[in-house]
Amino acid sequence: MAVDVIERFVSKYETLSGRAHLADSAESAAEAVLSVLHDAGGTRLAAAELPDELTRTLEQRCVQAGVELLKPPYDGRSLPGAIDAAHVGVSWAEFAVAEAGALVEFATNDATRLVSTLPRIHLGIVRAEEIEASLLDAGPRIRAFMAAQPENATVTFISGPSRTADIEMRLTLGVHGPEMAHAVILNDQTPGRKGQG
Amino acid sequence: MMLKGRYKGLEEKIDHALKERSGRTALYRAMKRGRDSRHKAVGALPGGEGFRNAVRSVKVRCLNQQDELVDRFARKVRERGARVFMANDGPEAISYILDIVKKRGARTVAKSKSLTSEEIEVNHPLEEAGVDVIETDLGELIIQKVNEKPFHLVFPAVHKTAVEVAEIFREVTQQDVPHDVDAIMRIVRKYLRPIFLNADIGMTGANVGVAETGAIVIETNEGNARLVSSIPDVHICIMGREKIVDTVEDALQMMLAHPISAVGQHLTTYVTMMAGRSPLGAGDGRGPRESHIIILDNGRSRMREDPLFKDALNCIRCGACMNICPTYGVVGGHTFGYIYPGPIGIPWTSEVHGLDKAAEFAPLCVSCGLCKEICPAGIDIPMMIAGVKDRDGAQNGHPRVNRILMAAEGMAKFGCATAPFSNWMMRNGLFRWAMEAFTGIDRRRALPPFRRQTLPKWFRRRGAVNWSKEPVRQAVFFADIYAAYNAPELGRAAVSALEALGCEVILPRQRGSGYPYIGYGDLKRAEKLADENVRLMMPHVEAGYDVVATEPTAAYCLKVSYPKLLHGRADAQAVADRTYELFAYLEMLENLAGGGEETTLYEGRRFGFHVSCHQRPLDAGRQAMDYLRRRGAEVELVETGTCCGMAGTFGMKKGMLGYELSQAVGEPLFQAFQEANVDTIVTESSVCAIHLREGTGIKVIHPLELLMEQGGTG
Repeated sequence: MAVDVIERFVSKYETLSGRAHLADSAESAAEAVLSVLHDAGGTRLAAAELPDELTRTLEQRCVQAGVELLKPPYDGRSLPGAIDAAHVGVSWAEFAVAEAGALVEFATNDATRLVSTLPRIHLGIVRAEEIEASLLDAGPRIRAFMAAQPENATVTFISGPSRTADIEMRLTLGVHGPEMAHAVILNDQTPGRKGQG
Repeated sequence: MMLKGRYKGLEEKIDHALKERSGRTALYRAMKRGRDSRHKAVGALPGGEGFRNAVRSVKVRCLNQQDELVDRFARKVRERGARVFMANDGPEAISYILDIVKKRGARTVAKSKSLTSEEIEVNHPLEEAGVDVIETDLGELIIQKVNEKPFHLVFPAVHKTAVEVAEIFREVTQQDVPHDVDAIMRIVRKYLRPIFLNADIGMTGANVGVAETGAIVIETNEGNARLVSSIPDVHICIMGREKIVDTVEDALQMMLAHPISAVGQHLTTYVTMMAGRSPLGAGDGRGPRESHIIILDNGRSRMREDPLFKDALNCIRCGACMNICPTYGVVGGHTFGYIYPGPIGIPWTSEVHGLDKAAEFAPLCVSCGLCKEICPAGIDIPMMIAGVKDRDGAQNGHPRVNRILMAAEGMAKFGCATAPFSNWMMRNGLFRWAMEAFTGIDRRRALPPFRRQTLPKWFRRRGAVNWSKEPVRQAVFFADIYAAYNAPELGRAAVSALEALGCEVILPRQRGSGYPYIGYGDLKRAEKLADENVRLMMPHVEAGYDVVATEPTAAYCLKVSYPKLLHGRADAQAVADRTYELFAYLEMLENLAGGGEETTLYEGRRFGFHVSCHQRPLDAGRQAMDYLRRRGAEVELVETGTCCGMAGTFGMKKGMLGYELSQAVGEPLFQAFQEANVDTIVTESSVCAIHLREGTGIKVIHPLELLMEQGGTG
């Protein structure tokens, strides 16, 4: 059942020009991030809030690989330039929607939103067990997040790279936002752990 | 070409649009792709087209409690630290925005696409105040640079070729721009990036406001709204008050409905639900971050009080009605629109920009009714457009040719009384020339002949039928003008087909359906005729009779238009419930008789079938196809997904607002029939038949004519 939902997400996400990867541990997720950065010839990685274990793992790997890792808290004075200068942005998705091929990002700081918008390549990480089948199933999760954040809160559905067909109806990627989008589906069999939003 | 009268300006615009071949082809492709992708995506939804009922029920429920929702939404927004301004009209909204600009010393405003901001024309006053306003949606940016209005709602610059766009950005960036789309895109990205990074104010619209959470929902594929709503310290959102829904689930329903209706996409690439104003990074290095939500009324509260126009507030701005509108599809948004384009743009323009502005393009609506059938909120757009035409007609009078066509029933009676003289006259070139000059009916259209032996005369003369056993059903035959006066043999064939299946048929006093009164906008007469026909039919319905019509538009009137015109009156609804299209009724009778036997009557024939627009909401047409298939014929449904262009009597009128436009709409369908390799075209509509015959050169018949060929009922 869950496998079926994962497959449906992957298939939809890829028809939307995104690329999906499976990871069975924080290490392999970090590996996927670095290989995407490496393939793009990039050296600067901007991260949003990630679960602690993932942040630690990613930091270690970046040090080993000589990659510059930008991470929160971002000094407001350095923004938006610092994130704009990154080659890849990596962010956490609270959940995903299979039928829409969408990763869903919860944010209380706009730096998070910039990580998934400004760099040419975006990579979102979602737990396998957090993939919902249908869009209309997303209501309770959004309601709970909005209730937990009585002031500012932003929920964003992201379905692949930035796209437009405004010239001659030709589909073109990356006009403003990322031109490449990756989803890493983390299936590490240890449910229930979550970093801060 | 001689153009005169009130619509001279509109006719000149149509003339111009029809000559723009490349723009027309691009627009047609965009629309066709939009409706084909929509069809496919909706088909894949669990409930298929049923999602429209869910969308309508959300919109109607929220509209009914709108004042409360607006209050709750505003309270929630404020609780979350953003500001709310209720603007009664455009000038109030603009002056609020100018105040913010002044307070913050803003020099640049980066906008993402917002129709509501266009409704109040915010860019110009901002520019006057010395502010740089940059549209960041690619299509909007292209047309902003050349001072044009959107050609299409979803694809504003669809009429521009890559070469033209490259030239525009060469001007803008003062550098060489290669003529290929990918290269243009890289240059646009580079050009816009510093604008996103440095804008003082980011301005967006909102696709939805959620009362439950105080969040606004912004949908884009490009991601520009994410950037303008996150980087600049000041965010301004302008939204119409009708966008506010109750719950998160309502919002999710809208998020699905927008892109699936527009282009068959499940969600737009980015959907942002934004509540309050988030900080950007840590520390106090930046100025205060603000978000202002301007809730615009601008006529909406008044609209809500108007029984006819209230329905327009259910619009979710998806553009589906544009993608299916036959005339919009050939002339585009520059001709078919003021600021709000397309079918729904007519009532909206009338309500927010004035009746005179709406009346300038309302005659482009040919009343095919397809917009109502594709609208995710099930809005009765055609009836509201009839309302706009009606109000305009009451103020400025109706054009003569429309008045004549609305009186077609009287003309037909006169033509029959004076036949064959009238027919001889109609075939006379000189007479048709004079008639064209006087009435505005195009002399090139072959009009159907008048018959002295009308259907009512024949029916009276033949007297009562002796039934050896009890009839299985009893039906009133509703003939409408064509089968009564122009082709009584069709009426006779219908009667014998019904009787052969054991159905008693009567032909009591009745009037024509009167649809032209709706099409050309004389609602008082339309209502009067609806009332008359319902009163004439009701006693028979009460006595157990069904009503059977062969003309698609007549069935549509009885089933769809009359109950609406008569405000849901019980007798109108009773008549509607008992009304059938002929072939649907024949199918039912065959099933009652134990199912029709398969025969080889039409074996070897290859028919191309045309479904008329008014059959679509009745799910009609397929029964006639099945009828022929059960008799051995090969039947192919040939369609482009929109109207053939004849649209009742519209295509009979001389000039741009008639024959010329009707031909342009028909071209792709004519071609499809020619390529379908059929020996005969079959359609149940008498007027579509004229158009297809002339447009394709292929023989066109009514399915009943096949029955007549056999001299019986097959």
